[in-house]
Amino acid sequence: MSSSEDKNKKRTLVLRPSSRAGNVSVSGRYGNQSSRTGSRKSLSLGGGSKVLDKSHVHIPRPAVRVFDEDNNVVTPQPLYQADPGTAQAKGSRFFMNEISGGSDQTTATGSFTMPFSKPVFGSSRISSQSTIESVNEEIEDTFSKRDQPISIPDVKLKKSTVKEPVTEEMLKEIIDVFLTETDTISLLDIPSAFVSVDADEADAVIERNNQYAEVCRNRMGNDKYVNRSVQTLNGAAKHKHVQSDSLVMVDAAVTVTTWDMFDTLCNLEQEQTIRSPQPEKTDFPEAVLDSSRAAERSMSVGSTVSSVSASSSVKDVESSGNTANTESELQLIMQSERFQHSLLVMERSILSNIFQPQLAAYRQLLVLEDPDSPVEQREEDTGSSPSPSLRSLWVFSCKLSRGRSISSMAWNKKNLDLLAVGYGQFNSGDQEPGLVCCWSIKNPTWPEHFIHCDSAVTCLDFSANSPGQLAVGMHDGSITIYNLQSPDKSRVISSHECPKKHLGPVCQLRWIQQELSLTGEDRAEALFSVGADGRICKWFVFGSVLNCTDLMMLKKVTTMKRPGGNKTDKTEENVLSVLTPGLCFDFHPAEPSIYLAGAWEGLIHKCSCSNTQEFLETYHKHFCPVNYITWSPLSPDVFLSCSSDWTIQLWKQDQLNPVLGFTSTRGAVYDVRWSPKWATVFGAVNEQQLEIWDLKTRILDPVIVQPAAPGVTMTSLLFVQQTDCVVVGDSDGQVTIYQLKNLSVGEGSQVNVLEDLLRSAASR
Amino acid sequence: MAQVEETLKRIEASKGVIGTILVNAEGIPIRTTLDNSTTVQYAELLCQLSMLARTTVRDIDPQNDLTFLRIRSKKHEIMVALENNYLLIVIQNPCE
Repeated sequence: MSSSEDKNKKRTLVLRPSSRAGNVSVSGRYGNQSSRTGSRKSLSLGGGSKVLDKSHVHIPRPAVRVFDEDNNVVTPQPLYQADPGTAQAKGSRFFMNEISGGSDQTTATGSFTMPFSKPVFGSSRISSQSTIESVNEEIEDTFSKRDQPISIPDVKLKKSTVKEPVTEEMLKEIIDVFLTETDTISLLDIPSAFVSVDADEADAVIERNNQYAEVCRNRMGNDKYVNRSVQTLNGAAKHKHVQSDSLVMVDAAVTVTTWDMFDTLCNLEQEQTIRSPQPEKTDFPEAVLDSSRAAERSMSVGSTVSSVSASSSVKDVESSGNTANTESELQLIMQSERFQHSLLVMERSILSNIFQPQLAAYRQLLVLEDPDSPVEQREEDTGSSPSPSLRSLWVFSCKLSRGRSISSMAWNKKNLDLLAVGYGQFNSGDQEPGLVCCWSIKNPTWPEHFIHCDSAVTCLDFSANSPGQLAVGMHDGSITIYNLQSPDKSRVISSHECPKKHLGPVCQLRWIQQELSLTGEDRAEALFSVGADGRICKWFVFGSVLNCTDLMMLKKVTTMKRPGGNKTDKTEENVLSVLTPGLCFDFHPAEPSIYLAGAWEGLIHKCSCSNTQEFLETYHKHFCPVNYITWSPLSPDVFLSCSSDWTIQLWKQDQLNPVLGFTSTRGAVYDVRWSPKWATVFGAVNEQQLEIWDLKTRILDPVIVQPAAPGVTMTSLLFVQQTDCVVVGDSDGQVTIYQLKNLSVGEGSQVNVLEDLLRSAASR
Repeated sequence: MAQVEETLKRIEASKGVIGTILVNAEGIPIRTTLDNSTTVQYAELLCQLSMLARTTVRDIDPQNDLTFLRIRSKKHEIMVALENNYLLIVIQNPCE
C-alpha cells in the first residue's frame, strides 16, 4: 500500500484539476482535513454529475485518471469494456459509481440514485460538468488510443478496431499468455487524523465530528440518503463443447513359453547368418524369411530352423487367390522332403498296426493281444512237445515283383532289416530287364527302394564297409555297384565298359573283407565274382570304372583222377584248357585267402588267392552243377554243398570225401544255408519244398518240411541273423518269411555236437 | 512327385485305414478322403491337440520337437505326423 501510495503520489503530481472530481485515489496530497470532506462531497457530487451527464454522451470512461511523472496516462483500465448502446452506458454508470464511491460508497450511491433521471444539481455541478466533459473527452481520446491493443475476452463487444486478418498459421500458432497481477492500486486512502484536545483546532474538529455524527444519525429515513445496491455484471457465459477422438482400447496379452524365447533367439541368429551371404543368393533369403514368417504367423507355434530346408526347394510362393493358394500350398508341402519322410513313417506305423502280431513274432516279442478285438484261435496246441514247424509270417510281394523269379537275396550288413532281392529269369529263358528291390521288414507291402536294371539280375551283395553300396551282377556279365543312400540311386560304378568283364552271367558276387588295413579299423574289402565264363575275378575301382584281376581260371579237368591229385601230367594233354563255368564260391571265414569254388561239372575246388594257377584241392562228389557252397559259420572247416543232383554234401576241409550226404526228395537243390545260431541246423531249398535239417535230431530226414505252393519253385533261401526266421524266395516273385517254431535244438551253438557227429560219421 | 503321390495313395488304400487328411499350417484341410464335416472336425480338433502336445514337448526342452503323435482309442488309432507347415492325419482301424 505504501508503494502504491508513492506511485499515486507521483501520479498525482500532475493531477489535473478536472480529475479531482473523480480522483478518489487522492491521498495524502489532499490530505488536509479541512478540505477532506468537502472534497469528498465534491467528489461525490462530481462523480454523480458526471454520471448523469454522461448518460447521453455515453462514454464509458472511468472518472479516475492517473498520470505518472511522464504525463503518461496509467489509469487502470476498466475490467469491463462497455457496449456501445444503452446497456453499455448503464454499465458504465454503475462502474463509475463504484469507483467514485470510495469509502463513502453508500452515501455516494444514495446521492446518485435520485438524480439519475433529472439533473438537480447546482451550479457547482455545472462548473464541474464542463470540466468533467473536457476531462472525459481527453480520457476518451486517450482511451480510444489505448483501446486497440486491449483484447478482453468473453465480452460481446463490437470492436471498431482494425482487425488483422487471422491466418491459419496465426490460429495454429502457440501464443504464450502470461498472466500477471497488476500492482495494487490504491484508489482511496484517507487515514484518520488525530488532534489533541488541547490544540487550537480542537474545537473545530470536535464541532465537525459532531456534525458528522449528526449526519450519520439523520441518515436513517432521510430523503437525502437512499440505499442502493449495485450488482456486478456477470459476464455472459458461453458453452463450448470439445470432443476428442475416443480412445480405442485394445486388449493385448502375451503368453511366454520356454520354446517361444528359444525360437526368437534362433530366428535372430538365423536372420543374421542369412543376411551375411546375401550378395550371393538374393532371392533365397527372402523366400526363407517369408516362409519362416509365414509359418510363424500361421502356426502360433514358432517355426524352427528346419523350415529353412523345407522351403528352400521352392523359390516363389504364389499368393493369388485362396484356392490357388491351397493348391500351391499342397504342391509345396508334397514336394518337401519332410513330407516324404512323414509319409514313410506314417506308412510304417500303419503297417506295423496291421502286421503287429507277425512283426512281433519276427522280432521275438510278446504278441500283444488286443483286448477289444475277438480273440483269434491259436492253431498250435499247447501240447507238451509240439513238433517243429514253420509258420508263415508274411510275404514280401508287390505288383512290381510279381511274376519275376527271384535269383538271389542278401541282407544288408548294417541295417539288418533291409533285404535286397534280385529278380531275374531263373531258367535262362527270355531275359527281361532285371529288378532289384530292397525290402524293409518294417514295410512288407512296398519295397524301400527298387532299381530297374538293364538285364536280369543273377546275384547281389551288400558291402560291409559302405553299407549303402549294393553290388549287382547281371546276366550279361556286367557288375554294377549302386549307392542306395543317394536319392536317385545313381550308379556308382559299372563294369559295363570294362574289357575284362565276365563274358557270361555273373553267377556269384561277394564282398570279402580281407586283410586288416593299416589303420586297423576297416578291413580292406574287395569284390569277388565268379562268372559263367569260368573266371574268378577280384574287382577294384580304377577311377570311376571297375576293373578286375583274374584270380583263378576254372579249368576243366577232363580226367577224373583219383581225388587229391589234380595237377598231374594228364592235364597237360589239354593245351587249350577250356574254362568251365563257375557257379558259386565261398571264402573261408577265418582264413580269407582260402576259398572254395564250385564248378559246372560238380567239382569243388579249394583255391588260394596267392596261387592263381593251381587248385589246392579238389573235392569230387557231385556229378551235377554245384549250386551253392557254404562254410559253416560256427564250426571250423566244415562246409556244405548242394547240387542239382538232388544231394547236399557235408564236407570237412581236410577230407576229400564228404562226411555226410543228405537226400530227401527228387529235386535239384538250389540253395543251402547254415543256421547262424545252431551249428547242426541248416536249411535247403529244392524245387518242391523247403527243408530244415537238424543233424542233432535226425540225419536222414529233414526236421521240417514246407512244401512250396503249387506251380511255384522255391529258388533261394536265407536265414535271418538274430531271430528264428527264414526267408524264402520263389519263382513267382514272392519272398516269404517263415518263423521256425519249436525247433528244440538246445542251448549253445551245438558245435561240439556237430564235431562229435562228424567224427562218428567219419569213423564209419 | 509321382512317388509321393503313389505313397499317399498306398497309405489311403492300406488295410484298415478309414481316412487320411492333410492339413496345412493354418488348420485348413487341403487333401482328404473323408467327407467335409468329419474332415473339418478332425482337422480342428487334432490341430489343437497337436499344438498342445508340441508345446508340452518344447517346454521341457526347447531344442526338442514333436514329430509323431499316436492316439489309440477303443475303436481306432489316430496317427498324426507333425511338421512346421502341415499335419498328416491318418485314422486306422487296426483290427478288422
